[in-house]
Amino acid sequence: MSNNLFKNIDLLGGRAVDPKSGIDKVLDLFIRKGKIYHQPPDSSQADKVYHLKGHTVLPGLLDLRSHNRVPGAGKSENIETLTKAAARGGFSSILTMPDTNPYSDNPATIRYIQDRIKQTAKVNVYLSGCLTIGSRGESIAPLGSLKDVGVVAVTDCPYTAANNQIFTNAIKYAKMFGLTVIDFPQDSFLSNNSHAHESPLSLKMGLAGNPRMAEEIAVERSIIIARHLGVPIHLSSISSSGSVNLIKKAKDIGIPITADVSAHHLLLTEEAISDYNTSAKTNPPLRQESDRSALREGIINGIIDACSSSHEPYSDHLKDVEFDLAPSGTTGLETALLAFMEAVNLEDPYPMVVEKLCDNPHIILGISPPSLKDGSSANLAVVKNNESWQYDPLNGESLSHNSPLKDHIFTHKVILTLCDGVVAYSN
Amino acid sequence: MIWQRNSLLSIEDLSSEEIIFLLKKAKSIKEQKEKSGQVLPSLKGKRIINLFMEPSTRTRVAFEIAAKSLGADIISITGEASSLTKGETLKDTAMNVQALGADAIVIRHSSPGSPLFLSRLVDVPIINAGDGAHEHPSQALLDIYTLQEKLGDLRDKKITILGDILFSRVARSNLWGLLKLGAEVTLAGPSTLVPREFEELGARVTHDPNSALEGADAVMLLRIQHERQQASHFPSLAEYANVFGLDSVALARMKKNAIILHPGPLNRGVEIESEIADSHRAVILQQVANGIAVRMAILHSCIIRQEGDPS
Repeated sequence: MSNNLFKNIDLLGGRAVDPKSGIDKVLDLFIRKGKIYHQPPDSSQADKVYHLKGHTVLPGLLDLRSHNRVPGAGKSENIETLTKAAARGGFSSILTMPDTNPYSDNPATIRYIQDRIKQTAKVNVYLSGCLTIGSRGESIAPLGSLKDVGVVAVTDCPYTAANNQIFTNAIKYAKMFGLTVIDFPQDSFLSNNSHAHESPLSLKMGLAGNPRMAEEIAVERSIIIARHLGVPIHLSSISSSGSVNLIKKAKDIGIPITADVSAHHLLLTEEAISDYNTSAKTNPPLRQESDRSALREGIINGIIDACSSSHEPYSDHLKDVEFDLAPSGTTGLETALLAFMEAVNLEDPYPMVVEKLCDNPHIILGISPPSLKDGSSANLAVVKNNESWQYDPLNGESLSHNSPLKDHIFTHKVILTLCDGVVAYSN
Repeated sequence: MIWQRNSLLSIEDLSSEEIIFLLKKAKSIKEQKEKSGQVLPSLKGKRIINLFMEPSTRTRVAFEIAAKSLGADIISITGEASSLTKGETLKDTAMNVQALGADAIVIRHSSPGSPLFLSRLVDVPIINAGDGAHEHPSQALLDIYTLQEKLGDLRDKKITILGDILFSRVARSNLWGLLKLGAEVTLAGPSTLVPREFEELGARVTHDPNSALEGADAVMLLRIQHERQQASHFPSLAEYANVFGLDSVALARMKKNAIILHPGPLNRGVEIESEIADSHRAVILQQVANGIAVRMAILHSCIIRQEGDPS
């Protein structure tokens, strides 16, 4: 981003929270030439002064699961709207998934996306590439070439290879290049044609069910492979209480497994689809209160490392159809941070926010996490506390509006997001 | 009570009073018809569209006869003959049907919840004639009507629904309706087609063909639906017939005058031995005949209610 976009910004009197840097106090921050200073570094005047009493300043958040629709379905989302949505939600970085059309399984597609990013992105975009060609699970994608053009992670999200040999070899191969491997744990046979969590509710509604077991079998598979190969595997978007138990056991004996959960799964249950609301049809499906509370516990006691948005935008006309014909997926970038804070329901959620939405996501991708230390790059978000407002996706930045949190009342609000010293969002 | 709904989307939504209201109304229509050979053409001038996106003989024709018996015009649109085959969405089809001046839409569709989906898009009465594995309210009402005719008050009566429960909208609608009227409902069949979770909805579940029928007042057999079984749920039709088919031995486990219902279409020799299907114990054809009176009651209640007339 060009330097002439830098503004001198004074952030005065807000609570800065960055536990890893030993920072958690009311602190004046001065943004100059893209960097954070605790004292004005020179005599230059601020272009903009924020008085942040009652606000919290967080180091730049990173979302581990955003679905990019370019190339392929730019009417559902393009890089500009995706990154604007991220910025509005407080994220200064996102990791995009490779399920573009064509799939991001080749350097040319990656270069095309990078070109769009260069021209229109408002926040940092890290790219993942396919683990297998076309994410079909049949043959290993050219991971070395993908790494060469800048991919930081490989995954077949929102699928996973059914063939264990190919899956294992692809992970072994990815290790050569130091790529983060992300698995979307879901047995493709047990979840085939499912539209909801398998439960009395899905039975009642006449919807084919996706059992917890479909996820747990795949979680266990990744744990076994991580142990066998000694390669870290990150599990994306876990949704079942059983998965939390499996991950805990694996971590207890030192298996290199990490996991994230979507903010929706922390906040909502299957009840959200009880009136056939296609905007609440997610992948994996929203499950039951026992799952939701186990996932929350998993976040709090460190079994689950991160929270993601699972932002899957779909144009209105694609979701405004019969429930079983609607694609699975919800938007989430604009609400994930706030939904996370509401779901963890801690007296002071901010240290947890920094850990699960900033520090750990960066560490999982092998990237040094942003900091609020003096002299750091200015990647940060400012949250106004005790601000009640009603979320309406139609007023958001995303081109898609498939949010199950339509009309939800939030009690915090993002008012400013900086990405490398540039204002990505301000309200 | 006063019937206040303009749509019939499910039995689960209905109160027991509403179910009884429709059953009573069907009874008075049937009696009137038997007495004078006809009923008042109370829907004269009304235009009803039968939107059938899935194959159906009985239900579609029964709605047609019911509508015509009440003096309404009814036009049936089937999946193959509609613009849905040209890529039109259900939403657009429904808006067009409304624009054509429909006073009610009767819909059969493979997607669960599609009648509810339609009812949010158009402001004409929507009658659910079967939505995927969700519900089939008019079928349940005619089943319950037939059961009441034969058994009287259904309170504490033991009714067994046997067969492919997992994929059955008929089973679900009957479960709700029968429970609301105080019957004891047993869902039975292969373990792969009768999930235990149905117990949480108030049913007794068994996978033992013997205990399924023990002391039952009635059994409702469900067709094994080949077209819905995308995964392998049981080995073969022959095996099904062997284990769960209703033969004379199984029949003897039920109460002496127990009756047999089947929503059709029937697989003779699979769910039921052919001779039993033709015996006096089977009330399958009475079900079909009652289906007309029940659907007249449904159409009349939903459409006339729409105009605010007392009913």
